[in-house]
Amino acid sequence: MSEYRGCELPEDLFYDLDYVWVRPEEDGILTIGVTDPAQTMSGRLQKARIRKLGTHLEAGRHVATLESGKWAGGVPVPCAGEIVARNEALLDNPHLINVDPYGDAWIARVKPDDPRHALDNVKTGPDAIEALSAWIDRYDVQCMRCSD
Amino acid sequence: MTRIDQIMQQDHVRLDALLDISARAVREGRWQDAARHLEQFRHGIADGHMVVEETTLFPAFEAREGGTEHPLTALLRKGHQDLRVFFQEMAEAISAEDAEEFADLLSTVQTILKQHDAKEETELYPYLAEALPDHGQAVGQEILTFAAGERA
Repeated sequence: MSEYRGCELPEDLFYDLDYVWVRPEEDGILTIGVTDPAQTMSGRLQKARIRKLGTHLEAGRHVATLESGKWAGGVPVPCAGEIVARNEALLDNPHLINVDPYGDAWIARVKPDDPRHALDNVKTGPDAIEALSAWIDRYDVQCMRCSD
Repeated sequence: MTRIDQIMQQDHVRLDALLDISARAVREGRWQDAARHLEQFRHGIADGHMVVEETTLFPAFEAREGGTEHPLTALLRKGHQDLRVFFQEMAEAISAEDAEEFADLLSTVQTILKQHDAKEETELYPYLAEALPDHGQAVGQEILTFAAGERA
Protein backbone atom coordinates (compact mmCIF):
# COMPACT_ATOMS: atom_id res chain seq x y z
CA MET A 1 0.00 0.00 0.00
CA SER A 2 1.47 3.34 -1.04
CA GLU A 3 0.71 6.42 0.99
CA TYR A 4 1.08 10.09 0.09
CA ARG A 5 0.16 13.00 2.36
CA GLY A 6 -1.73 10.49 4.51
CA CYS A 7 -3.77 9.18 1.55
CA GLU A 8 -3.80 5.43 0.97
CA LEU A 9 -3.21 4.34 -2.64
CA PRO A 10 -3.35 0.54 -3.09
CA GLU A 11 -0.89 -0.49 -5.78
CA ASP A 12 -2.97 -3.41 -7.06
CA LEU A 13 -5.93 -1.27 -8.21
CA PHE A 14 -6.47 0.58 -11.46
CA TYR A 15 -7.24 4.31 -11.41
CA ASP A 16 -8.80 6.88 -13.73
CA LEU A 17 -6.25 9.28 -12.17
CA ASP A 18 -9.09 11.38 -10.81
CA TYR A 19 -11.78 10.18 -8.34
CA VAL A 20 -12.18 6.56 -9.29
CA TRP A 21 -10.51 3.21 -8.55
CA VAL A 22 -11.29 0.06 -10.51
CA ARG A 23 -10.71 -3.59 -9.56
CA PRO A 24 -11.07 -6.18 -12.34
CA GLU A 25 -12.59 -9.36 -10.88
CA GLU A 26 -11.81 -12.89 -12.12
CA ASP A 27 -15.09 -13.05 -14.05
CA GLY A 28 -14.29 -9.86 -15.97
CA ILE A 29 -16.64 -7.65 -13.96
CA LEU A 30 -15.20 -4.29 -12.84
CA THR A 31 -15.75 -3.19 -9.25
CA ILE A 32 -15.72 0.61 -8.96
CA GLY A 33 -15.24 2.97 -6.04
CA VAL A 34 -13.77 6.36 -5.16
CA THR A 35 -10.23 6.87 -3.90
CA ASP A 36 -9.11 7.88 -0.43
CA PRO A 37 -7.96 11.37 -1.56
CA ALA A 38 -11.25 11.88 -3.44
CA GLN A 39 -13.37 10.98 -0.41
CA THR A 40 -11.20 13.27 1.70
CA MET A 41 -11.65 16.18 -0.68
CA SER A 42 -15.42 15.62 -0.75
CA GLY A 43 -15.82 15.78 3.03
CA ARG A 44 -18.36 13.78 5.06
CA LEU A 45 -20.70 12.29 2.49
CA GLN A 46 -24.40 12.71 3.21
CA LYS A 47 -26.07 11.43 0.06
CA ALA A 48 -25.30 8.73 -2.49
CA ARG A 49 -27.37 7.89 -5.53
CA ILE A 50 -26.41 4.87 -7.63
CA ARG A 51 -27.96 4.19 -11.02
CA LYS A 52 -30.38 1.28 -11.30
CA LEU A 53 -29.28 -2.31 -11.94
CA GLY A 54 -29.31 -3.14 -15.62
CA THR A 55 -28.59 0.46 -16.68
CA HIS A 56 -26.20 0.66 -19.61
CA LEU A 57 -23.62 3.43 -19.43
CA GLU A 58 -21.21 4.80 -22.00
CA ALA A 59 -17.62 5.43 -20.90
CA GLY A 60 -17.34 8.57 -18.82
CA ARG A 61 -20.99 8.62 -17.74
CA HIS A 62 -21.83 8.64 -14.03
CA VAL A 63 -22.67 5.38 -12.29
CA ALA A 64 -23.31 7.30 -9.07
CA THR A 65 -23.55 10.80 -7.66
CA LEU A 66 -22.28 11.75 -4.22
CA GLU A 67 -22.98 14.80 -2.08
CA SER A 68 -21.52 16.19 1.11
CA GLY A 69 -22.15 19.54 2.75
CA LYS A 70 -19.40 21.15 0.71
CA TRP A 71 -19.10 19.05 -2.45
CA ALA A 72 -21.18 17.19 -5.02
CA GLY A 73 -20.05 15.19 -8.02
CA GLY A 74 -20.34 12.12 -10.15
CA VAL A 75 -18.51 8.80 -10.27
CA PRO A 76 -17.72 8.07 -13.93
CA VAL A 77 -17.28 4.60 -15.38
CA PRO A 78 -14.03 3.96 -17.29
CA CYS A 79 -15.66 1.95 -20.08
CA ALA A 80 -19.06 1.24 -21.57
CA GLY A 81 -20.98 -1.47 -19.76
CA GLU A 82 -23.98 -2.58 -17.75
CA ILE A 83 -24.47 -2.18 -14.01
CA VAL A 84 -24.73 -5.70 -12.55
CA ALA A 85 -24.48 -4.87 -8.84
CA ARG A 86 -24.64 -1.83 -6.62
CA ASN A 87 -23.76 -1.34 -2.99
CA GLU A 88 -27.17 -0.81 -1.37
CA ALA A 89 -25.55 -0.10 2.02
CA LEU A 90 -24.25 3.23 0.69
CA LEU A 91 -27.74 4.49 -0.05
CA ASP A 92 -28.53 4.46 3.70
CA ASN A 93 -25.02 5.22 4.89
CA PRO A 94 -22.94 7.14 2.32
CA HIS A 95 -20.48 8.07 5.07
CA LEU A 96 -19.16 4.51 4.77
CA ILE A 97 -17.22 5.79 1.75
CA ASN A 98 -15.28 8.08 4.09
CA VAL A 99 -14.51 5.17 6.40
CA ASP A 100 -13.56 2.35 4.04
CA PRO A 101 -13.27 3.63 0.46
CA TYR A 102 -11.44 0.58 -0.89
CA GLY A 103 -13.33 -2.12 1.02
CA ASP A 104 -16.93 -2.22 2.17
CA ALA A 105 -17.69 1.04 0.34
CA TRP A 106 -17.30 -0.18 -3.20
CA ILE A 107 -19.99 1.58 -5.25
CA ALA A 108 -21.00 -0.58 -8.19
CA ARG A 109 -20.01 -3.49 -10.39
CA VAL A 110 -20.09 -3.09 -14.15
CA LYS A 111 -19.94 -5.72 -16.88
CA PRO A 112 -17.89 -4.20 -19.73
CA ASP A 113 -19.26 -4.31 -23.27
CA ASP A 114 -15.79 -5.13 -24.57
CA PRO A 115 -13.71 -6.92 -21.92
CA ARG A 116 -10.56 -6.71 -24.04
CA HIS A 117 -10.55 -2.91 -23.83
CA ALA A 118 -12.21 -2.47 -20.43
CA LEU A 119 -9.03 -1.14 -18.81
CA ASP A 120 -7.80 1.04 -21.67
CA ASN A 121 -8.71 4.26 -19.85
CA VAL A 122 -7.29 3.43 -16.43
CA LYS A 123 -3.74 3.08 -15.12
CA THR A 124 -2.04 0.98 -12.46
CA GLY A 125 1.40 0.56 -10.92
CA PRO A 126 4.05 3.16 -10.11
CA ASP A 127 2.97 5.56 -12.89
CA ALA A 128 -0.57 5.63 -11.50
CA ILE A 129 0.66 6.24 -7.94
CA GLU A 130 2.86 9.09 -9.18
CA ALA A 131 -0.03 10.66 -11.10
CA LEU A 132 -2.34 10.35 -8.10
CA SER A 133 0.29 11.98 -5.90
CA ALA A 134 0.33 14.90 -8.33
CA TRP A 135 -3.51 14.97 -8.11
CA ILE A 136 -3.25 15.17 -4.30
CA ASP A 137 -0.83 18.10 -4.60
CA ARG A 138 -2.97 19.84 -7.21
CA TYR A 139 -6.05 19.85 -4.98
CA ASP A 140 -4.00 20.35 -1.81
CA VAL A 141 -5.46 17.28 -0.08
CA GLN A 142 -4.26 15.93 3.26
CA CYS A 143 -5.90 12.65 4.25
CA MET A 144 -6.75 11.67 7.81
CA ARG A 145 -8.20 8.37 8.94
CA CYS A 146 -11.88 8.38 9.77
CA SER A 147 -13.00 5.85 12.38
CA ASP A 148 -16.82 6.12 12.48
CA MET B 1 -18.46 50.99 -15.14
CA THR B 2 -19.62 47.45 -14.32
CA ARG B 3 -17.00 45.28 -12.67
CA ILE B 4 -16.31 41.68 -13.73
CA ASP B 5 -17.56 40.31 -10.39
CA GLN B 6 -20.94 41.99 -10.85
CA ILE B 7 -21.25 40.84 -14.47
CA MET B 8 -20.40 37.22 -13.69
CA GLN B 9 -22.71 37.07 -10.67
CA GLN B 10 -25.55 38.42 -12.78
CA ASP B 11 -24.79 35.75 -15.38
CA HIS B 12 -25.07 33.06 -12.69
CA VAL B 13 -28.53 34.36 -11.82
CA ARG B 14 -29.54 34.43 -15.51
CA LEU B 15 -28.34 30.86 -16.08
CA ASP B 16 -30.00 29.56 -12.89
CA ALA B 17 -33.28 31.00 -14.16
CA LEU B 18 -32.90 29.20 -17.50
CA LEU B 19 -32.33 25.89 -15.71
CA ASP B 20 -35.39 26.53 -13.53
CA ILE B 21 -37.52 27.04 -16.66
CA SER B 22 -36.39 23.70 -18.07
CA ALA B 23 -37.03 21.96 -14.73
CA ARG B 24 -40.55 23.42 -14.57
CA ALA B 25 -41.26 22.12 -18.09
CA VAL B 26 -40.14 18.64 -17.01
CA ARG B 27 -42.43 18.74 -13.96
CA GLU B 28 -45.33 19.71 -16.24
CA GLY B 29 -44.50 17.01 -18.79
CA ARG B 30 -43.73 19.50 -21.57
CA TRP B 31 -40.78 17.48 -22.86
CA GLN B 32 -40.07 19.43 -26.05
CA ASP B 33 -40.05 22.72 -24.14
CA ALA B 34 -37.84 21.13 -21.49
CA ALA B 35 -35.34 19.99 -24.11
CA ARG B 36 -35.29 23.42 -25.78
CA HIS B 37 -34.80 25.31 -22.52
CA LEU B 38 -32.16 22.87 -21.28
CA GLU B 39 -30.21 23.36 -24.50
CA GLN B 40 -30.54 27.14 -24.08
CA PHE B 41 -29.15 26.78 -20.56
CA ARG B 42 -26.38 24.41 -21.68
CA HIS B 43 -25.33 26.68 -24.53
CA GLY B 44 -25.28 29.71 -22.25
CA ILE B 45 -23.24 28.10 -19.52
CA ALA B 46 -21.00 25.66 -21.42
CA ASP B 47 -20.35 27.61 -24.61
CA GLY B 48 -20.44 31.09 -23.09
CA HIS B 49 -19.86 31.44 -19.36
CA MET B 50 -17.44 28.54 -18.90
CA VAL B 51 -15.50 29.31 -22.08
CA VAL B 52 -14.85 32.89 -20.95
CA GLU B 53 -13.72 31.60 -17.58
CA GLU B 54 -11.47 28.88 -19.00
CA THR B 55 -9.88 31.01 -21.70
CA THR B 56 -9.63 34.35 -19.93
CA LEU B 57 -10.46 34.51 -16.23
CA PHE B 58 -8.71 31.36 -14.98
CA PRO B 59 -5.50 32.14 -16.94
CA ALA B 60 -5.58 35.72 -15.62
CA PHE B 61 -5.85 34.40 -12.05
CA GLU B 62 -3.19 31.73 -12.62
CA ALA B 63 -0.78 34.25 -14.15
CA ARG B 64 -0.89 36.19 -10.89
CA GLU B 65 -1.19 33.33 -8.40
CA GLY B 66 1.27 30.57 -9.20
CA GLY B 67 0.37 28.94 -12.50
CA THR B 68 -1.98 26.30 -13.84
CA GLU B 69 -1.66 23.98 -10.84
CA HIS B 70 -3.35 26.42 -8.45
CA PRO B 71 -5.88 24.43 -6.33
CA LEU B 72 -8.69 26.95 -6.86
CA THR B 73 -8.67 26.95 -10.66
CA ALA B 74 -7.88 23.21 -10.76
CA LEU B 75 -11.05 22.60 -8.74
CA LEU B 76 -13.12 24.99 -10.87
CA ARG B 77 -11.88 23.43 -14.13
CA LYS B 78 -12.71 19.98 -12.78
CA GLY B 79 -16.17 21.25 -11.85
CA HIS B 80 -16.73 22.41 -15.44
CA GLN B 81 -15.64 19.01 -16.77
CA ASP B 82 -18.09 17.19 -14.47
CA LEU B 83 -20.95 19.58 -15.22
CA ARG B 84 -20.61 19.06 -18.98
CA VAL B 85 -21.22 15.31 -18.46
CA PHE B 86 -24.19 16.00 -16.19
CA PHE B 87 -25.72 18.31 -18.83
CA GLN B 88 -25.53 15.46 -21.37
CA GLU B 89 -27.16 13.10 -18.87
CA MET B 90 -29.96 15.59 -18.17
CA ALA B 91 -30.62 15.90 -21.90
CA GLU B 92 -30.77 12.11 -22.16
CA ALA B 93 -33.24 11.94 -19.24
CA ILE B 94 -35.46 14.41 -21.08
CA SER B 95 -35.19 12.42 -24.33
CA ALA B 96 -36.24 9.32 -22.38
CA GLU B 97 -39.04 11.34 -20.70
CA ASP B 98 -37.70 10.11 -17.35
CA ALA B 99 -38.79 12.72 -14.81
CA GLU B 100 -37.39 10.80 -11.83
CA GLU B 101 -33.94 10.52 -13.36
CA PHE B 102 -34.02 14.18 -14.39
CA ALA B 103 -35.01 15.24 -10.85
CA ASP B 104 -32.10 13.30 -9.34
CA LEU B 105 -29.65 14.82 -11.81
CA LEU B 106 -31.11 18.29 -11.31
CA SER B 107 -30.63 18.02 -7.54
CA THR B 108 -26.97 17.12 -7.96
CA VAL B 109 -26.33 19.76 -10.62
CA GLN B 110 -27.96 22.49 -8.55
CA THR B 111 -25.83 21.49 -5.56
CA ILE B 112 -22.67 21.55 -7.69
CA LEU B 113 -23.60 24.92 -9.19
CA LYS B 114 -24.40 26.41 -5.78
CA GLN B 115 -21.02 25.38 -4.36
CA HIS B 116 -19.10 26.17 -7.55
CA ASP B 117 -20.69 29.59 -7.98
CA ALA B 118 -20.11 30.49 -4.33
CA LYS B 119 -16.42 29.67 -4.69
CA GLU B 120 -16.14 31.82 -7.80
CA GLU B 121 -18.11 34.69 -6.28
CA THR B 122 -16.11 34.77 -3.05
CA GLU B 123 -12.61 33.83 -4.21
CA LEU B 124 -12.15 34.32 -7.96
CA TYR B 125 -14.25 37.25 -9.19
CA PRO B 126 -13.50 39.72 -6.38
CA TYR B 127 -9.78 39.02 -6.79
CA LEU B 128 -9.93 39.65 -10.55
CA ALA B 129 -12.10 42.74 -10.15
CA GLU B 130 -9.24 44.25 -8.18
CA ALA B 131 -6.37 42.75 -10.20
CA LEU B 132 -7.48 43.41 -13.78
CA PRO B 133 -6.69 46.88 -15.11
CA ASP B 134 -10.25 47.89 -15.98
CA HIS B 135 -11.83 45.85 -13.15
CA GLY B 136 -12.44 43.21 -15.81
CA GLN B 137 -15.00 45.24 -17.70
CA ALA B 138 -13.61 44.29 -21.13
CA VAL B 139 -13.79 40.58 -20.32
CA GLY B 140 -17.23 41.03 -18.84
CA GLN B 141 -18.35 42.57 -22.11
CA GLU B 142 -17.73 39.17 -23.78
CA ILE B 143 -20.29 37.61 -21.45
CA LEU B 144 -22.77 40.44 -21.96
CA THR B 145 -22.42 40.19 -25.75
CA PHE B 146 -22.88 36.41 -25.65
CA ALA B 147 -25.98 36.71 -23.45
CA ALA B 148 -27.43 39.43 -25.69
CA GLY B 149 -26.88 37.15 -28.70
CA GLU B 150 -28.86 34.40 -27.00
CA ARG B 151 -31.81 36.70 -26.34
CA ALA B 152 -31.84 38.03 -29.94
